[in-house]
Amino acid sequence: MPSADQTLTVITQFLARADKGDAEVTPATGLYGDGLELDSLEAAELSAMLEDEFGTDPFSSGDELPQTVGDILAFYEVAAPA
Amino acid sequence: MSTQPAAHYDRVHEAWRLIMGEEFHYGFFASADTPLEVATAALTAEMLTRAGIGPGDRVLDIGCGTGRQSCDLAADSGASVLGITTSASGVAAASELARTRGVDARFEQRDGTSNGLPDASYDVVWALESSHLMRDRGGLLSESVRVLAPGGRFVLCDIVRKREIPFLEVRSRRHDFAVLRSAFGDAHMEPLASYASTLEELGMTVLDATDISEETLGTFAAWRANVARHETTLLELLDAESVADFVRATEVLEAFWNDGTLGYGILAAVKP
Repeated sequence: MPSADQTLTVITQFLARADKGDAEVTPATGLYGDGLELDSLEAAELSAMLEDEFGTDPFSSGDELPQTVGDILAFYEVAAPA
Repeated sequence: MSTQPAAHYDRVHEAWRLIMGEEFHYGFFASADTPLEVATAALTAEMLTRAGIGPGDRVLDIGCGTGRQSCDLAADSGASVLGITTSASGVAAASELARTRGVDARFEQRDGTSNGLPDASYDVVWALESSHLMRDRGGLLSESVRVLAPGGRFVLCDIVRKREIPFLEVRSRRHDFAVLRSAFGDAHMEPLASYASTLEELGMTVLDATDISEETLGTFAAWRANVARHETTLLELLDAESVADFVRATEVLEAFWNDGTLGYGILAAVKP
């Protein structure tokens, strides 16, 4: 499973591609609304990028969509072998 | 003020005029062989019927684009029209059109979701196919209601979302959605019922909210025919990939219309 830095790198690459490269990205940053303001298509694109990179992604693997950058990081931390 | 819609329209304006016709919007097709210019005029007529614009009425045209509609409204009904758009070049082109035609229409660069106009200063607010490019749909509607005088009418027609699209479906069809975004800009479609309920919450009385998806379906074939007819010129205005993307976008939209994902709605409401 990826490290937090690897995951943040993919998120940053996605934001640059989505013309949101100036956005502040911390674990507390929300993905929608007042945070990164992702719409459903942008979330789908981020989901696909994460899956392409890491083989799985928190948007299509869990019961609930991640709400923050921290939720994405936590998904991979939990998925990582002990 | 959002500049994304302005940048989008500036970039492809001339090409779209060739493809979509002078009226620059969808058509209302009485039959499959209705010419596009007849169909676009028919859609405008559907709006006019609902708007009930009379001589001297103050009309606000939100997302006025090229200004053609505003000028027609002023010329045909004797109304005094203000067209607003986020595009500076749109304002310049529309102002020149109004000057040339000698009609009572003027144009200002304003955002429909925060228009800055005085309360109760318009008799009709007109939004023809502009709302899908405004993310703050609540802002558009509340601002429209705010500037309407008592008894004033709000009329809107636009692309609408006809069902919930689950995340995994968005993801699986993301390439189709990306094609639409590339061709038509950062569009966000809402259900027609959502417009109606928001207007009711704002104190408006909704007179009519009609799904006209079937009547607008012929638009896509008509646009593709115009692409074929003007291909040489279009390839001078746009790169080949953009032209191909546009054609692909019409096919994606046509499929969405046919499977009930997207469609077209028209709505009228009055301020008590």
